[in-house]
Amino acid sequence: MATIRYEREGGGKVDEIAWQAQELKVVERPNGPAAAAMIAGAIGVLVLGFLTTLNEASTDAHDFLEFWKSVGPLSGKTLIAVGAFLGSWLVLAPLLWRRNVALNTVLLVTAVLITGGFIGTFPKFFELFA
Amino acid sequence: MELTDRETWTALHGMVFGALFLLAFAGGLAGLWSLRPEWVTLTGLQERMFRLKAGVATMAIVAWVTVATGTFVVYPWYRDPPPVPQGGKFTDLPLDVQQDFPRAVLLNTPGKEEWHKFGMEWKEHVAWVSPILATVVAFIVLYYGNQLIVDKKLRYASMALFVAAFAAAAIAGLLGAFITKAAPLQ
Repeated sequence: MATIRYEREGGGKVDEIAWQAQELKVVERPNGPAAAAMIAGAIGVLVLGFLTTLNEASTDAHDFLEFWKSVGPLSGKTLIAVGAFLGSWLVLAPLLWRRNVALNTVLLVTAVLITGGFIGTFPKFFELFA
Repeated sequence: MELTDRETWTALHGMVFGALFLLAFAGGLAGLWSLRPEWVTLTGLQERMFRLKAGVATMAIVAWVTVATGTFVVYPWYRDPPPVPQGGKFTDLPLDVQQDFPRAVLLNTPGKEEWHKFGMEWKEHVAWVSPILATVVAFIVLYYGNQLIVDKKLRYASMALFVAAFAAAAIAGLLGAFITKAAPLQ
């Protein structure tokens, strides 16, 4: 228990706030659902980077990714990446829902995939394959 | 004083939705950072948790709206091919016609090509990282709630993803502002 006490100029002490120990109820859930979401998000980012680079490397891929002519291949790249994110989440979530997994490994995999995705979207990188 | 349809959508995309996401980030990060039982009372933690849940959910939705309007509404106007006659050049078109085609303006103005080749090319892709990662963070905060107060590793992982989502949005937002200055969409 802690008390904030201050003294008034005219004399006298005042205890303004008295802290009391309180109980926080937490129902611990397994980390599997979080792991599934993180890996799925990282897969989405990686697919985005991969398709961005593939679009430069192959004219066939460029043409295939042009879902809407007005948007160009960006339409295919982004929609497939979002599909990969949601699809992999849909697959991973039921598999990991009640499980506790090694979170350090999940974080490492997530970081590697996201870094790969970021690099794939970087123009100086994907122009190497043009 | 009036805005065209294109200017209105560009402003909504960048100055309303995009700016809202970037501004809300600091609040969300501070909320995650301060979920510590040693710093605040139980009542304070519960109040912060409610605010955090509402904040991250809103941010994820705003991020999706921002990239969707940017890619499927504003971007087609940006990349619209100019009506250059056979054998002619873009610069032969009247100036008031040229300015309706920002991509062509950048590519045909010496010294401005990189705003498209590097700036727009990176912006249009990296922006999509933001809603994906913001959604992951929103799910973790909504699903685990109070557990994040005691589960430091999960809280730090969420913060790292949150920062990555912000970094992607910040790159896209900054490049978007510069590109709009170099060749405004009118």
